[in-house]
Amino acid sequence: MLLNGIITGLIMGGILSLPVLGVAVIYGITGIPNFAIGVIGVLGGFVTWYFLSFNMGVAIVIGIAVCFIIGYIIQRILLTPISERGGDSTLFFIITVSVGFVFEGIIRAIFPRPNISLELPRIGTINLAGVTVEGFKIFALLFALGTLVVIRLLEEHTEIGKSWQATSQNLKLAKLIGINTNRVFSIASGIGCALACVGAIFWGSLYNLQVSTGWDLGFMGFIIAVVGGIGNIWGGIISALIMGMVMSFSGYLLGGEWQSVILYFIVILVLIIAPKGILGSERSL
Amino acid sequence: MIEPILKITGLTACYGKISAIKAINFYAHDNEIVGIVGPNGAGKTTLLESIAGSMRIKNGRIFFLGRHIEKWPVLKRRQLGLMLVPQEGNVFPMMSVKKNLEISVILSNRAERKGLIDYVYELFPILWERRKQIANTLSGGQQKMLAVGLGITSNARVMLIDEPSIGLAPKLVTRLFETLKKIKEDTKKTIVLSEQNIKILNIADRLFGLEAGKIRFDEKTKNLSRDIVKDLYLGSIS
Repeated sequence: MLLNGIITGLIMGGILSLPVLGVAVIYGITGIPNFAIGVIGVLGGFVTWYFLSFNMGVAIVIGIAVCFIIGYIIQRILLTPISERGGDSTLFFIITVSVGFVFEGIIRAIFPRPNISLELPRIGTINLAGVTVEGFKIFALLFALGTLVVIRLLEEHTEIGKSWQATSQNLKLAKLIGINTNRVFSIASGIGCALACVGAIFWGSLYNLQVSTGWDLGFMGFIIAVVGGIGNIWGGIISALIMGMVMSFSGYLLGGEWQSVILYFIVILVLIIAPKGILGSERSL
Repeated sequence: MIEPILKITGLTACYGKISAIKAINFYAHDNEIVGIVGPNGAGKTTLLESIAGSMRIKNGRIFFLGRHIEKWPVLKRRQLGLMLVPQEGNVFPMMSVKKNLEISVILSNRAERKGLIDYVYELFPILWERRKQIANTLSGGQQKMLAVGLGITSNARVMLIDEPSIGLAPKLVTRLFETLKKIKEDTKKTIVLSEQNIKILNIADRLFGLEAGKIRFDEKTKNLSRDIVKDLYLGSIS
C-alpha cells in the first residue's frame, strides 16, 4: 500500500505540475497571476477530444496550438496593456477569472457535453517492485519532469530563454537593452496555456474532463505554485509532487472526502511558516 | 557646421502637472562627450529618460540620425542607436556578469558580439575576474562598471549615462571617467552623461548647465570656469 500510495502520488503530482509550470512561467515572467489558464487548458482538451477520431497526434497538436494562440492573444491585447497602465494583482484576479468564465461559456457552447474522456493508448503496464502501473501514467510523469528540464535548458542556453530571465529580473532595463518585452510576455503566456492544455489532456485520459475541471486545475495549479514559491519553477514541481503525495496518502488513509481538507490545511500551514513558499520567490503577490 | 546626430528642440516633460523640464534645446555630435550638469531635481534624469523613450514627453521634437523619434517606443529608439544606462536598477541582479553582457548584445549581429564583450573585459579587467559572479553580489563600483559595460556592449551610436559617479569613491570616479574618455576615443561614439561631479570638466567636450528644468548654459568645456559649474551644483548661478 505504501508503494502504491507513493506511485499514485507521484503521478498525480506530475500531472498537476504541468498547470503549475504554466502558472510559474506566466507569473515568473509577466508578473501577472493568470487564473484562466486551467479553463483555457481544458478548452484545449475538448478540442483534442473533438479531433481524436481523426488522428491522435494531430488532435493533440491542434489542442496545444489553440491554447498557445489564445494565451498569446489575451496577453497581447488584454493583459500587457493593462499591466502597462499599472494594473495590480486584485485587478488581474478579477480580469483573468472573468476571462476564465468567458472560455467556460465558450466550451459549453461549442461542446454541449458535460464531460469527456480522452482515449489515449495505455502503453502497456510496468511492474514496479510488485505494483503494476500503466505505462501511460509513467509517461505522464516523465513528460512533466522532461518539460521542466526543457524549460530550464531553454532559459540557460537560448536567446529567448535569456530574454525571459532578463525581463523577469529587470523589466525596465530589459526594454532599454532592446528586448522586445511585449513579445516575451505573449510567448510566456502562450507557453503557460499550452502547458495547462497538456495537463488537461493527461487529466482527461486518466480521469475525465469536465468543464469545471479547468477551475480545479487553474486554482490548484496556482496554490501549488505559491506553496513552492511563485515564479520558482523548481519550487513549483517539488510542491506539486509533495501535494500529489499528500492527496494520495490522505485518500488512502482517511478516504477521498478528507483529501482536500488535509491538502489545504497543509497549504495554509506552509504559507504561515514560509509566506514566500518552500523554495522562496523573487516576486511576491 | 556639421549637423548634430542628436538634436532636441522645445522639449517639455511633466510629472503629473509639474513640469520637470521646460522647452529644452539640446544637441550632441558624433564622437563627443556631452555633460548635462546641475543640482538634484534639475531635470537631468527626466531629460535622459525622455531621449531614451522611457518617459513620455508633453511637447517638443527629438531628431536622431535624420529621423523624428519623439513618438517612438523605447525598443525602436534602441534599434536606431540610443541606449540609456539608468542610475539605478542598471544590471540584471540574479545573472552572472557574463550572462549580463551576453544578453546586452542581443541587437548586435553575431560576428560583433564577442568583440564587444571582450572590449568590456579589456576596459574593466575586474569584470573578467568576476565574470561568474552574480551581479547583485558585486560591490557598488563593480556594478557601476558592469552597467557601463552593458551600455558599451549595446553598441549604440549614442550612449546616455545617468550620473555614473554617484556613490563611487573619488578614486573610482576618476578611473571611470578616464575609461569613458577612452571609450569615446576607441569607438568614436557619442556619450551623453548627466553629472553632479566636478571632475566632469576633465572629460566632457561640452557642458549643458541645467537648473530647475531649464538650460542655464551651453558651452564648450574649455570656455567654462570651475566656479560656474560649482555654483550651478550649489543651485545659485544667477
